[in-house]
Amino acid sequence: MRVTANMSSDNAIYNLQQGRAKLDKLQNQISSGQNVNTPSDDPISSRLLLEIGDKLRAIDQRSSNINKATSWLQFTSTSVDGMSDVVNLARKVAGTLNTGSDDPAIRQSAHDQLVDLKKQLIDMANTQFGDQYIFAGADNATPPFSITNNNYDGDGTQLSIEVAQNSVQPLNVTGDRLLKGIGANPTYGTTDILETFDNLIAAVGDNTTPSDVDAISQAALDLQSGARQLNIATSDILARTTRLDNMSKLNEKNRNTLLSISTRVQEVDYAKLGVELSNQKLAFEASLSTTAKVTQLSLLDYL
Amino acid sequence: MGLSAAMEIGKNGLNIYRIATEVTSENIANVNTQGYSRQRVLLESAPPTLHNGFPLGTGVQISVVERYYDGLLQQQLVSAQTTQGFDTSKSTVLQQIEPYFNEVSNDGIGTALSNFFGAWQDLTLNPGGTSERQVVITRAQILSDNFQSVSRGLNDAIATQNATLVPLTDSINSTLTNIAQLNGQIKSTELLSGNANEMRDQRDQLVRDLSQKIGITFTENVDGTTDIKYADGGAELVTGSNAGAFSLDQTDPNNFVVQLTPPGGALAIVTPTTGELGATVAMRDTIIPGYLAQVDTLAKSIADAVNAQHSIGFSPTGGTNQNFFTPLGVVDGAAGAFSIDAGLDISTIAASGSALLPGDNSNALAIVQLNSTYTVPSGAPTATFSSYYSSLVSKVGLDVQSSKTTVAQDEAFSKQLTTLRESNSGVSLDEELTNLVKYQRSYQASSKLITTATEMMDMVIGMIR
Repeated sequence: MRVTANMSSDNAIYNLQQGRAKLDKLQNQISSGQNVNTPSDDPISSRLLLEIGDKLRAIDQRSSNINKATSWLQFTSTSVDGMSDVVNLARKVAGTLNTGSDDPAIRQSAHDQLVDLKKQLIDMANTQFGDQYIFAGADNATPPFSITNNNYDGDGTQLSIEVAQNSVQPLNVTGDRLLKGIGANPTYGTTDILETFDNLIAAVGDNTTPSDVDAISQAALDLQSGARQLNIATSDILARTTRLDNMSKLNEKNRNTLLSISTRVQEVDYAKLGVELSNQKLAFEASLSTTAKVTQLSLLDYL
Repeated sequence: MGLSAAMEIGKNGLNIYRIATEVTSENIANVNTQGYSRQRVLLESAPPTLHNGFPLGTGVQISVVERYYDGLLQQQLVSAQTTQGFDTSKSTVLQQIEPYFNEVSNDGIGTALSNFFGAWQDLTLNPGGTSERQVVITRAQILSDNFQSVSRGLNDAIATQNATLVPLTDSINSTLTNIAQLNGQIKSTELLSGNANEMRDQRDQLVRDLSQKIGITFTENVDGTTDIKYADGGAELVTGSNAGAFSLDQTDPNNFVVQLTPPGGALAIVTPTTGELGATVAMRDTIIPGYLAQVDTLAKSIADAVNAQHSIGFSPTGGTNQNFFTPLGVVDGAAGAFSIDAGLDISTIAASGSALLPGDNSNALAIVQLNSTYTVPSGAPTATFSSYYSSLVSKVGLDVQSSKTTVAQDEAFSKQLTTLRESNSGVSLDEELTNLVKYQRSYQASSKLITTATEMMDMVIGMIR
């Protein structure tokens, strides 16, 4: 084939361009630290990366859900523990007076103590997490219990949150199941603790009213089953916390797996690219050098 | 005759080698002219005479000054240029569109979508919370901004393609006119004498330029003219010195219709499928609208699914039947119209499943779960929001990648053909310089012939004296 100087220079330009393009791609990968910078770099991997990115965001969101739910359950657990303590204190008072007392001062003091304890119980049942009353079900903008009557003003809805894809975790414990002994899913017991308190207060009597010994022992028995009811609730809360812990660990494990896949696809191997770059640089320098040498050759210099 | 014949041959030689030097200088001068084909002087011996009693030539004469030209290569170059024109235009436009879908390094619709449903997740934990509600609205606004920006970008790209048709057809028309003019000049020049090499080169270059913009077939006629036909439909574009013209029916300002008036023929609508013109029409009518339709489908599915769930839920004050997004009627244009419903604010977000329970989160939870349900496209769902969007991104990536590969192949092929053409028709300075020396020596020899003949003549005259 006949070769002209123009052909050589066209070829040189074409090949220099190819070399530059390869160098540019390597430079881009090295400086960004990413293998895939646009979807067209690797469409299949980009799809994978996108899906992983999406899953990671979902996992982060669920971790945040789980953290908030764990705090909620810790609040719930603390309050229920407090209620247990109050009920046990009331049982102790009932125990010291199980045969009644003839001393009006003692009766009055026991009466006052029990009224205080009931107030504490109501306060605990009206615990807020943020601005939500945690024992009020879905009607949680107003306090579920009041000191004036024993009614439950909340509602029995079981709120749930998503902790894994399409898997929900019940969050709240409603006050009716806890203190009124009504409601289901699950039921903790059938004791109306508030009513029992009132019965006990009435049975203890005060400085003018004498004690009713039978009623005291009945109320003490009821308080015992009330305490059991609260214990069952506590273990339900603990079971939920354990599940959240497990989900959190599972999420973390999934997150690490996904991150390692994404890293494998996306992050560049600097050592490999470095070797490629120095090879490419050598090739490019060689083609620059030959281009410079060959294009200078002309018969003109020898005529 | 005698000595004067020798002088005559010498004079001829001087003349002819001067012309040969001129041809060489023309070659040297045009070494970098695009489309130039090197020319050569074909010499032949002049007709012999029987003057000396035996036949003897009367020196040298020029048979023809011809150019090195390969008609088959021209055909191949023309068809390669058409493919390259189509692929290059397509690839350029696709690469301009790709950034709208570059979720790999930037946040776009995909991230906005995840964040939107993330905000609903937060709302499930505190259905009455003002800040949680505000975040839901803000995230929805960002999602809507993303949809509108992509929709606007793609629509702009379509409008740009449409507008490109004007300069493109203008440029095609002027090329057609130039080819026809050159055809006329070549024909009249060659009727008088020899080959109109330079004009042929110019015309052939114009034919190659034209073939980048539209697919053509051409026939080289004996009178030196080239007739050109349109590959899409076979209508005539150039017949002899008459050129046809493309025009645009601009009745619909967003959708120009390409028309063609062949030389001496009637205006007719054509459907360009080849070259830059074909690529421009394909991008405008098929490829970009295809992406846009998928973005629209996603937008409509999100609006439909979220609205359906949201309108059966209740606000903290018990309000219901409130759309979250402005309801979208048809898929077409859905992404551009994607916006938050006018009646929606933080007090009307329906997180609750009951009119009486402001703290209920069941409707918010149901909306969260839409994100992992098959919801796209509306009616016959086969994908989740995010998987539908991921496959769109992947599809755009594949299209861009394959168009880049095709362009690289086209370039390599064109380069191979150009090299072949250059090998045949290109000027080699070394060769021309060698010729120059050769012709110079011949010129010197011819002049030596004349001086020798003169000396001989002097000698004869001296004898007479």
